[in-house]
Amino acid sequence: MCDEMIQAQLGHMVPDFELDTYDPKIRNFGKFKLSENMAAGKWTILFFYPADFTFV
Amino acid sequence: MGATLVTVSTDTQFVHLAWKDHEKELADVKYLMGADPTGEVSWLFGVYDENSGLALRGTFIISPDGTLFNSEVNFYNMGRNIDELMRKFKANLYLSRKANEGCPSKWKDEGDATLKPGPEMVGKVHEALNK
Repeated sequence: MCDEMIQAQLGHMVPDFELDTYDPKIRNFGKFKLSENMAAGKWTILFFYPADFTFV
Repeated sequence: MGATLVTVSTDTQFVHLAWKDHEKELADVKYLMGADPTGEVSWLFGVYDENSGLALRGTFIISPDGTLFNSEVNFYNMGRNIDELMRKFKANLYLSRKANEGCPSKWKDEGDATLKPGPEMVGKVHEALNK
């Protein structure tokens, strides 16, 4: 999968990415883009988990 | 604290909404729920499990300049400790300003003792931590 793409590495720049999101604060869908969050001067914490409706 | 927390699974944003509305344990959830149905972003961070099509329990901290500061991956059945995540985030925040210092394992918050690696510390870590 994705042989031509670079994976994130500790201490290196993370390649930009975008995710469709659900935002519970405004109860609406949206997008998260790493470069936009960086432009806002913010840190990003990503928290991956296997699946909704399971036991996080 | 100047950070955006995004939880990510390979579910869609529509399933996120349904889960959020259904599960009472999530009643107080305020953070963004990211959808990665193609597994592309999970793959980018090395947590995509091709056998199941699911993401492993990975936690990643990225600085405002885009550098990956922290990476931690647990297997499916190993939960994470939110206090430890906050400890790591605070330590990364501190170290992004003081790159020549080190936060030892027991470092919890600003003001706790740090280590300044140098010739005088070789073999004297115990003394440095117990000043």
